[in-house]
Amino acid sequence: MKFLKFFGLWIASCGLVVLVACNNQAPSTSTSQNTSAASTAPTEQATHADMGHSKRININAAILSELDKLEAKLGVPALSNKIQASRPYGKVEELVSKNVITQAQFDQIKDMVTIEDIQLTGEAKDVDYMVKLSLMKGHMMVAKELLDLGKPDQAEPHIGHPVEEIYADVEDQLNERNVKAFKNELIALQDRVKAGAKDANKTAEEYKASMQSIDGAIAALPETQHKDHDFVLQVINGLLDTANSEYTSAIADGKVKEAIEYQDSRGFVMYADELYKGIANQIQKEYPDSHKKIIAMMADLLKVWPTAIPPQQSVKTPEEVGTLIKQIETETKKAS
Amino acid sequence: MGIDPASKTVDIKQPLFNRRQLLQAGLLLGAAGGATIGLSQLWRSRGRSATVTIPPLPQEAMHHGSGISPLKILREFDYGTVTQENGRTVREFRVEAQTGELQLNKSTKFITWNLNGRVPGPTFRATEGDRIRVIFYNKAGHSHSLHFHGTHPAAMDGVKPVRNGNVFIYEFDAEPYGVHLYHCHVAPVTRHIGKGLYGMFIIDPPQPRPPADEMVLIMAGYDTNNDNKNELYAFNGLPHAYMHQPIPIQQNQLIRLYVLNLIEFDPVATFHLHANLFRVNPTGRLLEPSYETDVITMGTAERHILEFSFKETGKFMFHPHQDAIAEAGCMGYFDVISGLPS
Repeated sequence: MKFLKFFGLWIASCGLVVLVACNNQAPSTSTSQNTSAASTAPTEQATHADMGHSKRININAAILSELDKLEAKLGVPALSNKIQASRPYGKVEELVSKNVITQAQFDQIKDMVTIEDIQLTGEAKDVDYMVKLSLMKGHMMVAKELLDLGKPDQAEPHIGHPVEEIYADVEDQLNERNVKAFKNELIALQDRVKAGAKDANKTAEEYKASMQSIDGAIAALPETQHKDHDFVLQVINGLLDTANSEYTSAIADGKVKEAIEYQDSRGFVMYADELYKGIANQIQKEYPDSHKKIIAMMADLLKVWPTAIPPQQSVKTPEEVGTLIKQIETETKKAS
Repeated sequence: MGIDPASKTVDIKQPLFNRRQLLQAGLLLGAAGGATIGLSQLWRSRGRSATVTIPPLPQEAMHHGSGISPLKILREFDYGTVTQENGRTVREFRVEAQTGELQLNKSTKFITWNLNGRVPGPTFRATEGDRIRVIFYNKAGHSHSLHFHGTHPAAMDGVKPVRNGNVFIYEFDAEPYGVHLYHCHVAPVTRHIGKGLYGMFIIDPPQPRPPADEMVLIMAGYDTNNDNKNELYAFNGLPHAYMHQPIPIQQNQLIRLYVLNLIEFDPVATFHLHANLFRVNPTGRLLEPSYETDVITMGTAERHILEFSFKETGKFMFHPHQDAIAEAGCMGYFDVISGLPS
């Protein structure tokens, strides 16, 4: 019974970031299932039981606007950021043991939080979905540049990353949202590029098919989300955050040592810029000051990646890029 | 040369087995106040001591790049945070995937993807039957994962990528006992392992192995120019580290090496010890070593427990006998220091 419940929840959980093993024993006898399920503390069993009904906030994975609900409940300024900064949490009780909040505060919110976010819901789920697809877009954009430059060998990893690193993570959401699977398109393109992309027409055709599939998956999001600047800004921050880490993985001694990670971060920033352009008018109207700053900082940021083929010397240090991205994120929060 | 490995197996295994029986008897009698002396004599007669002496390490253990110290990594075991949950031992490990620079030698700086700031990642250690909980936080840009060898359910197999900024909690039972490993399983796996996302995972048998000076040696390669070939190699992360700083060990003391070959691109690497032979416990799946040699061939991801002790003092090399690999960094010395009586 318990096992089935776990299993069912797990199946339902695919887009899920955090998952605690439920059972590693064969479902042969109910006693053995109970024994292994018992490895989680009683309080956490209650969490399991509640799952699916409640909308608990996953403190390991939730985006800031979700965490803001906890901040509002407790009235602690900047709590969302503090929760984010103290990740990861092995248990929800670590909010207390890691000195993020007091025991008394924890008692007030303990029914709102979990580390087992089996199902992201609502906006958080859509943001998560859109970030994944946006990362795919970024990879594909830089791949196209490299294909156009006649560098299929350099394009190959960026054609590969969407299917190798991201697709598995988005697969179940595609099913749920009735988006046609497109793994085969991605793989076909990857195979062609691996083989040297000799037939330019066929490569272009397959590239187009992959891009259309990703765009189709993005289009599955409700129109309201696409137009909601708050939503789009969260996606932009997801992209910039990853670009920041990738850029750090590219630079050593002031030089671009790893072209792949340089190019990854280039693609993510390029797509973040494209997304921002789509909501720029709105932001300009409502938050003219932030808009001005974001535009200026994005322009500054884009200069870090002058070409798809990396320059010898890096334009900015990873620290400088990190600072710039943090500043942009701060402004986007003001505008949301 | 004409020696039948099977007969060797019997030769070596038999006395060890007897000793083990005696050890068990000794423990039983010991409770009644009896056989301790006999036991320690037995250890001594085999060149072993019931207590393990680890010689002092050089004052300045070598540090490079992001604070990686092979001399420290050598004998460092992460037993996790132990709690009891409903009568079970749970070992909780925290691992953070990070990015960091590593100075491989004077002229080569390499960008690693590492775990908790070290290459190799922490050596996780548990006892068979423990519950393992690994809280994996990815802060390294790309999607990464932790795939453990050993047995576990499909959902815990670690082939599903964990995106940058996300957490995944792996939980399973530690089984079977032996020497295992873990590594990132995101494609291209050669690159993810080659940049440092790997480590050893030791599961001890329920009845502990006899006391010894225990060490982890992981052989790995570095593809420093992304040409799908290794330019440098290393034991425990840094090329030639144990050449520059030999590993001090005690004369006549049992040494137990947990050796793993995680060299990508080259299909095999051997492990050879100078001026000695070692007893081999394949994959650590036996309670006692089964045969003796001075060179063992290991394919990628193969790992064994090797046991030996040195009668002579002095410096003795160890390295793969693919000498090109050895000369490109996978080479070290044991510095045998006088101390224990033979």
